[in-house]
Amino acid sequence: MGPTARARLPRRLRARAAAEGGFTLVELIVTLAILLIVVASLSSVLVSATKTEVDANNRFQAQVQARSGLAQLTRELHCAKSVTVTNTAGTSLLAGSSGSRIAATLPSTCTTSGGVTLFVTWCTSASTLNTSDWALYRVTSTSSAPLCSASGKIKWADYLTTSTPFCLPSTSAACGGVLRPSGSLPMLHITMPVNLKGPGAIESYNVVDDIALRNGTHT
Amino acid sequence: MRSEEGFTLIELLIAMVVLTIGILALIAAYSSGYVALNRATRVSSARLIADQQMERFRAVQYSAVKLNTTCGALCTEDATFTGDPAYSSTAQATGCTTTDSTCLPTQTKTGPDGKSYRLDTYITYNCWSGTLSTSPSVTCGTGNPSPVKRVTVVVRSSSLTAPVREASTFTTFPTN
Repeated sequence: MGPTARARLPRRLRARAAAEGGFTLVELIVTLAILLIVVASLSSVLVSATKTEVDANNRFQAQVQARSGLAQLTRELHCAKSVTVTNTAGTSLLAGSSGSRIAATLPSTCTTSGGVTLFVTWCTSASTLNTSDWALYRVTSTSSAPLCSASGKIKWADYLTTSTPFCLPSTSAACGGVLRPSGSLPMLHITMPVNLKGPGAIESYNVVDDIALRNGTHT
Repeated sequence: MRSEEGFTLIELLIAMVVLTIGILALIAAYSSGYVALNRATRVSSARLIADQQMERFRAVQYSAVKLNTTCGALCTEDATFTGDPAYSSTAQATGCTTTDSTCLPTQTKTGPDGKSYRLDTYITYNCWSGTLSTSPSVTCGTGNPSPVKRVTVVVRSSSLTAPVREASTFTTFPTN
């Protein structure tokens, strides 16, 4: 700043400029300490917000996965003529009881059967992501309905807190408290509670749906 | 030694306010993400309830697609129900007498998210052409195709920005 410029400055500012010095070490340390306290308290808020956000996102992903698995299952069963609910070993269960596996035969004309008569199994098996949960798998065969132990199964949903999501109601045996109306198509009742933190934890997302087998017969 | 001058209290406060505004803006971004996720869960839950209700009508025969409007308090059609564009006082398909709650005009359902939703079902006769008359029998007039049934399912909740609606037409074709 040249002498002319300096002369143009008001007196007060000139006095200020003359008094300017660097910070002392003590000043710097005190300032840093205050900043640290402020940032630490605010960062704990940010950290918990991030944790909540990640948790909500994971939960939402699991819900979306369950819904898309259900959509695929629905699409497939709409084309099936009949479906049986079985236990893990493949033994058929009575109407109104819940099972871990369903077996359906898809005619070759179905969009998901690939032009041949396809035996489709949907079943639950222990989840690899959370030991107290189950995952929903789909496995197919062109010869006979496969068990869940078959190779080549594809996972469609995870974090189910029940191993027995399937139930076939009759006009006298209810599933989820609801009977199948007389003269209606076969219906599959599905209960898929989804919870990242295992059974019994709060914030469960309970997907419940009924699927009517449009290709079936009214009885 | 030169004269020492610290920050004034005002300067310090201004700096802190600016910092706080910055950090609050960050937190607001988080919370709006959380709100968006929650809203998506509500809509998806309402949609599942609507799907399930529609599927129950898909399972039964054409003749069984109707409402129960004569069961007293349970079957009351309140102002919210009758105020919907899908409502018709004259073309409603009624006569369901099953004890099943499916054919009640208004039901309360718990969604997958554990929240409570109001499920309204409207079933009305519709004509592709001609004019609908319901007495003595339901017809669209001589020379016109038979009437069809229009099922509209509306899921309402205060946590939804707009009700979730689903509509489908039911006919006697091909076998049921």
